[in-house]
Amino acid sequence: MLPRRSRLSVLVFLVPPLALYAVAVLFPILQSLVLSFFSWDGITDLQFVGLSNYAHMLTGDPVFWRAFLNTLGYLVVCLVLQLGGALLVSALLLTLRRGREVIKTLYLLPAVISTVAIAFLFQRIYSFDPQGLINQLLSWVGLGELARPWLSDVNTVLVAVSAPEGWRFSGLYMLIIYAALLAVPQELEEAARIDGASRWVIFWRIRFPYIRPVWVTTTIMAATYALRGFDIPYLLTNGGPGQASELLTTYMYKTAFTSTNYGYASTMSVFIVVECLVAVGLILLLLRRKADA
Amino acid sequence: MTTALRTSIPAAPRPRRRSGRPRLTAFDAIARALIAIILVAQVYPLAWLFLTSVRTESDFASGDPFALPSSFTLDNYVRAFQQNNLGLNILNSLVVTMGANLLIVLLGMMGAYALQVLGFRFSRLVRGIFMIGIIVPVQIALVPLFINYSRVGLLDTYQSMIIPLAGFALPMSIYLFSSFFEYIPLELYEAASLDGAGPYRIFGQITLPLSVNTIVTVVLVNSIFIWNDFIFANTFVLSDGLKTIPLGLQNYIAAMGKIDWTATFAAVCVTITPLLLVFLVLNRAISYGLSAGATKG
Repeated sequence: MLPRRSRLSVLVFLVPPLALYAVAVLFPILQSLVLSFFSWDGITDLQFVGLSNYAHMLTGDPVFWRAFLNTLGYLVVCLVLQLGGALLVSALLLTLRRGREVIKTLYLLPAVISTVAIAFLFQRIYSFDPQGLINQLLSWVGLGELARPWLSDVNTVLVAVSAPEGWRFSGLYMLIIYAALLAVPQELEEAARIDGASRWVIFWRIRFPYIRPVWVTTTIMAATYALRGFDIPYLLTNGGPGQASELLTTYMYKTAFTSTNYGYASTMSVFIVVECLVAVGLILLLLRRKADA
Repeated sequence: MTTALRTSIPAAPRPRRRSGRPRLTAFDAIARALIAIILVAQVYPLAWLFLTSVRTESDFASGDPFALPSSFTLDNYVRAFQQNNLGLNILNSLVVTMGANLLIVLLGMMGAYALQVLGFRFSRLVRGIFMIGIIVPVQIALVPLFINYSRVGLLDTYQSMIIPLAGFALPMSIYLFSSFFEYIPLELYEAASLDGAGPYRIFGQITLPLSVNTIVTVVLVNSIFIWNDFIFANTFVLSDGLKTIPLGLQNYIAAMGKIDWTATFAAVCVTITPLLLVFLVLNRAISYGLSAGATKG
């Protein structure tokens, strides 16, 4: 603490950032909470409806549950690609002697690209006619009969809209996990190796437990980012065909800005926040407990 | 952190390798092949984007998407600029990126200075309130901001994008600046205080000049997200004159039912190249900024 500070100087420095934060983040959160108890189309008067938005969402809206399950699917695909890919690549990187920096940079490249550009790109990659990259690849390896329009096939569309998000940020988590793995003390591994432990055992019994705190943080980051995922599914399919790739975020967005049902949309956005908090809680509970055992 | 990484890289694996059990080399070969495959999957789509942007339309339409271009043309780039307001979109993105970055850096430093250097009774509580913003998804703010903007006439302005972009980035910025300010020795402040400098002069003449590296990191990391922002722009901007790059790119579809893919890809290349170049040149600072939050917290 500075010896010569006044109450006024604290306020001068604190109030501007707090004001922006209140206008952009805090106040809107409270407003959403309040709005979730109202029915409002933006034109006629606000109508207090109590918990009926929540009741409708949880018991009377099949689209909501469909979107919720899709969101879980989206989450799983993102986590597998991002965390699994990140762990695999960073573990493999450690076996290299040269070129690590170059590979890290290249691997991170997609994180710099805008989601609109990624949506364009993947529309071509998944394309059936003219043949896109994936279908071409399939026909080369002799799996031509699997070729399909990935984005209009109800069975594949959810995975197809989730994969680009996983692809995009895998490099980010690799960066974090790789830095953590580098920090594992060499002596621990040396000792295990002298005792005849295999690479596999060394990785899972020594390196991985050591980086567990970072792993927990990365899992939380990846999960909360995936739960708020919006851009790519919205741009690629806008939830379709039918509701096959509808996520909570895209459904909420359409409810708010296409059907202008602000009250119900707010109810859903409150649910999205709760979902994020529950996810964080679950991850802490599951991963921390394992660490203690 | 980065210097620590560097020294530990060459030292680590070398002595092991020399003792050479043959099983290890087989393992190494597989590991290398795997890395190569993953890397191709990661980078090839981007290379393909650039290759397609210099193809003629007929070459693109005629099939094999993996083939190298049989012709080279810059026509697509000409069409990309003719068809839509690409230049204007880039300008708008620059305005929004600079405006939001200015707020994020200035207010982030001020907040961190109040919390970390000045200190006050409820600073832990205020810090906690700021940290909420890291977990909360941006979607919760869309409807309220839309309503509030339309009340005060802020819809369809630069500010409508800058305010939430800066607001949601502020917590991370405060966090990064706070953890940097921790390392500025207290004696420095005390000495300045004894010389009669008040909190404002100390901020301007000690804290600010020392923070240049952190400022660069914060700006670079945020620029990636702001330059690419889609959701706020898509929600709050309606007129063509204010559209940023992500919205402008969408016009390439909306213009006519049939998409001019090669021109679209040329436009995409134009818009991602500046960021890619900055990233390739300064990737150390960006990498550090992106991972700092997780490894420290």
